[in-house]
Amino acid sequence: MTGAADIQQTQRTPDARARRFTFRWDTFFLVAFVLYLIIPLGATLIFGLSGNNGIDFHSYQQIFSDKDFTKTLLISLELALASTVLAIVLITPTVYWVQLRLPQARPLMDFLSLVPFAVPAILLALGLGEVYSSSNVFVNILSLGLVPLLSGNGLNIVDTPQLLVCAYVIVSLPFVYRPIDNSLRAINTRVLAEASYSLGGGWWRTFLTIILPNILPGVVSAALLTFSTAMGEFTLSSLFGIYTFPIYLDQVGQNDAHKAASLAILSFFFTLVCVLAILLFVGRRVSGKQTNVEIAAAK
Amino acid sequence: MAFLELEGIAKYFGAVAAVDHINLSIQQGEFLTLLGPSGCGKTTILRMVAGFEAPTHGTITLDDEDITHRQASKRPMGMVFQSYALFPHMTAAQNIAFGMQIKKQPTDHIKRRCAELLELVGLGEMGPRYPHQLSGGQQQRIALARALAVEPKVLLLDEPLSALDAKVRVSLRNEIRRIQQQLKMTAIYVTHDQEEALAVSDRIAVMAKGKIEQLDQPEEIYSNPNTVFTATFVGTSNQFNGVVESASDGRCKVGDFILTTSRITHLHPGNRVLIVVRPEEVSLLPATHTESANGTANHIAGSIELRTFLGPFTRFHVQVNENTTLTADVPSQQARSFETGQRVILTFPPDACQVLALDGRAQELQQLAEAEKV
Repeated sequence: MTGAADIQQTQRTPDARARRFTFRWDTFFLVAFVLYLIIPLGATLIFGLSGNNGIDFHSYQQIFSDKDFTKTLLISLELALASTVLAIVLITPTVYWVQLRLPQARPLMDFLSLVPFAVPAILLALGLGEVYSSSNVFVNILSLGLVPLLSGNGLNIVDTPQLLVCAYVIVSLPFVYRPIDNSLRAINTRVLAEASYSLGGGWWRTFLTIILPNILPGVVSAALLTFSTAMGEFTLSSLFGIYTFPIYLDQVGQNDAHKAASLAILSFFFTLVCVLAILLFVGRRVSGKQTNVEIAAAK
Repeated sequence: MAFLELEGIAKYFGAVAAVDHINLSIQQGEFLTLLGPSGCGKTTILRMVAGFEAPTHGTITLDDEDITHRQASKRPMGMVFQSYALFPHMTAAQNIAFGMQIKKQPTDHIKRRCAELLELVGLGEMGPRYPHQLSGGQQQRIALARALAVEPKVLLLDEPLSALDAKVRVSLRNEIRRIQQQLKMTAIYVTHDQEEALAVSDRIAVMAKGKIEQLDQPEEIYSNPNTVFTATFVGTSNQFNGVVESASDGRCKVGDFILTTSRITHLHPGNRVLIVVRPEEVSLLPATHTESANGTANHIAGSIELRTFLGPFTRFHVQVNENTTLTADVPSQQARSFETGQRVILTFPPDACQVLALDGRAQELQQLAEAEKV
């Protein structure tokens, strides 16, 4: 009996040791990663709260009483929402159309979606300003008359929030195109669309009622990435001369480091709340559907 | 004029003709199968009828109306896809209701019709389930119900059973045939499975390289193939390459043998031919029965190389010379007296021989059919 127990003991020990060993490394990496993300945030939070006599909420009081805080936050929020809506509305049907009708244009789309990574924001801002403020015939022809229309005296788009939104859409193109394209590839888009057509569904109906619900996670992901990009974008808004939240943050940081740290924390939590709200909303819809399914299956 | 008429239909992808100027007439209530190997153009024809592809040439007429350039969503067709194509975010009932909702039919009617169709496909209880909660066979039944819900004039089925396992395939193909006959629905069925085609169709169009090789009833396709491709692609057959010696006597020289056939009026001495004999037409005699064998028109001696029991019959592979092995299907009860290695005589009557002209294209298609069967 003792011999058998010994054998079992010796057999079990290396396994158990290996399991504990692997588990420790997993935990180590997990903890290291979480610390890597949390320590700067924690340090910023502590720095923002630290005053002469321990914890001090003075900087937060200053922020909430500052009119520029609310004003710039609302401007950034509006710009981010507008960019998100424009990017999704513009790009989702386009990618669907390319997938279905023009697959040969996919390499071009892949290339275009990477261009914003290669072109610095400063160049984009200068380029847009140059194009819409010059009366170059070549540019007018290439833009099919759109540039003279938008840069004319009646409707001068240069350095306006509208053009900034367009610039944000360009900057966030890779973040919108990739998740939506991946979602469309993951479902059998062509066959689903053809099934809908064969049942009498038109192009838009098929897109809105069949394709969109099935690529919703990709669209939500694209929306979140665009929203966060636009909320935190500095260079473009600075060059456009539009007073957004990141510019306010920068200005405050130059005068009062404690206040800047508190603002950074507020900005982080604000974005986090927005993202969590969207995720919870989508998640609830999905889980609600699954619950219904389970009930139906049980019946 | 036929109910559905395809006239001079061609589809080119670049310089390649996927469908090469075909004519096809389908009667109302008919079940027509397009049968052929991959790339023969059968699915392209179906997609052109559905409106998913535009023909390069030709016209499609349905019920005396030219629908060649009509949008897919405006055609009175119902389609069943190989991959089911059920909408994943909708329940089975919602999938079935989708087409009726587009047609703005009253809610009561939609509910009643959904229940009827679920019953018709034998899934009365499955309405609230999502596609991922159904088996492959169940999903395809729902897809069939969904296609029927819009009361199409023509039901199009694109290899609907290919993704299913063998047992479900057989039961579902019978279901499809039963429902089609019950509803007197005109149907076009695409498959590469000859057994499926022979089992369910009123007529079969055997296709190769964008052309229809033979369009006929299943019995005729099997028993009287009129092209080398059809004879090779459909069913198992013994094939002899030979030369016509005497057209009036139906004699053909095949290597060292002379085969006597009875259907050779359309050929002349010296023509190269392919002689096709189905295995069930070949009888087996023990080598000692030379006298009774000599009394038959065609008899070839050989030794049994392989014996395969296939239930109601047993298949014998008999080697007759170094390069030639012939196949004979013998009812299993009679097959017990034959063993592997035994010397036997194969006999078959003249009218069991299908004699087909073997020109360059026929040879090419024969190779294609053989490659597909492997």
